[in-house]
Amino acid sequence: MCAYWAMLLAGFRRQATYRLAMVSGLATNAFFGVVRTAIFLALYRQRDQVGGLDVRDALTYVWLLEALFGVIWVSWIWETAESIRSGDFVIELLRPGDPYLRLLAFDLGRTLNLLAVRALPPLTVAWLVLPLRLPGSPAGLALLALSCVLAAVAGFQARFLFGAAAFWTPDYRSVWMLVFPAVWLASGFMIPVDYFPAALRLAASASPMFALVMAPVRVATGRSVGLALASQVLWVAGLWAAGRLVLALAGRRLVVHGG
Amino acid sequence: MADGLLVYWRLASASVRAHMRRPVFLAVRTVAAGLIVAVEVAGVVLLLDRFGTIGGWRAPEVMLLFGLAFASQGLALTFGNRLEADNLSLLVRKGTFDQVLTRPVSPLGWLVASYVDARFLGRLLAGLGAVAWAADRAGVAWTPGRVGLAAMAVVCAASVIFAVLLLAAAFTFVTVQGTEAVNVLVYGGTYLASYPMQIYGSALRLVFVWVVPVALAIYVPALVLLGRQGPPGLPAWLAWLTVPVSAGFLALGGLAWRSGVRHYVGAGS
Repeated sequence: MCAYWAMLLAGFRRQATYRLAMVSGLATNAFFGVVRTAIFLALYRQRDQVGGLDVRDALTYVWLLEALFGVIWVSWIWETAESIRSGDFVIELLRPGDPYLRLLAFDLGRTLNLLAVRALPPLTVAWLVLPLRLPGSPAGLALLALSCVLAAVAGFQARFLFGAAAFWTPDYRSVWMLVFPAVWLASGFMIPVDYFPAALRLAASASPMFALVMAPVRVATGRSVGLALASQVLWVAGLWAAGRLVLALAGRRLVVHGG
Repeated sequence: MADGLLVYWRLASASVRAHMRRPVFLAVRTVAAGLIVAVEVAGVVLLLDRFGTIGGWRAPEVMLLFGLAFASQGLALTFGNRLEADNLSLLVRKGTFDQVLTRPVSPLGWLVASYVDARFLGRLLAGLGAVAWAADRAGVAWTPGRVGLAAMAVVCAASVIFAVLLLAAAFTFVTVQGTEAVNVLVYGGTYLASYPMQIYGSALRLVFVWVVPVALAIYVPALVLLGRQGPPGLPAWLAWLTVPVSAGFLALGGLAWRSGVRHYVGAGS
């Protein structure tokens, strides 16, 4: 346990060293946030409520999305896949302890840093300037924080599964590019799934992608908070099982070239 | 001159042939690039299906902007993908750019021609498909003049995006590490220009119409195609300015690139 805690802290510190990347990431999120805010303000000029969301819900969605963007689509997204292709991944299997837990602890350390420096500031500024709908009570804020951490864990697990494609094909990026459009749509990173037609909305809400950004939005805006958190916990457990299974299968077929 | 151009032609066709050697790979990547455009388009359709209009524009009209934006992005990245911060940063750090400088060709010409990436054509083609579909739904009657105008919009916007890549590349020569902030202009600028400009505040409008004129090159020609007047301060007749302003911005990018190369000191040992 102590070792995994150390990995988590190391991940946190490692991420803290990339200052230029942090600043440019913040600028990117702020810019997209401003543009999306203008889009949703224009859309809601003629409507009060669409798909169960009013303009405050929509703006909360926009800024939570910008806050979580860098946490889910992290800049090191290809690290696992690259290390599998180069064979470096074998070192992970040789190290003591559980490789999956170790990778998770290190990754979570890095994403917790991103949550602190890249998610919290823009969300706070947006909350001061715009009529966002964030929880008013400390308990509500704690649940939102929990939901964001669960999203970060689910994000790692999803990235691990996609990266694990490299065990089977060196062209893992093509695999990713083919599934990405569906992931992009279902995750709600493009538009909130609440605007989808009923069948599509149901499918997207029942998919693991729901845990990435839509569930935190539900928790923030106070709509079916319990259900959103329960589905996140469920998907974290489900993806956990899937990740372990893939690692067990892949460990048997990993061939390391070279001396 | 003709000899010089022949060199670039050979380099470009060699890089396209290299992609052709792996037809499945090329096909998958092209399809994937088109798919992402299809999903983005589906997103706008779903959104405007719910809301009806944005800034007074209906779904097919917004789609025309999306199509023009994607097509120009695809065209610019087909030639300029190697200038993207991550890619150029790798060339600088590995010392590959030192070798480029010793060759008897222009460094920019070499970079552009030898890394022509046919995969981004998927984005260009899907974008053009979206333009055709949207124009049909919006009731645009295609005349040779309108086709020419759409083509001009795509080429001009692509030049602006390419110029942004050049500016970013010049910056990368200084910082060595690339920076994500360039994405704001390359992807953020086209994202912004995919919606009618009247929904934005004056600061955003000023920047993306007159400073980084990607919206001038997409939105204003679209006004003419759709027979719309445009908001105050951004009338449709500005369309004739698209070519000179984009060309000027491209020249600026070129100057930045030259200054970047002149100040380049290797990063390798």
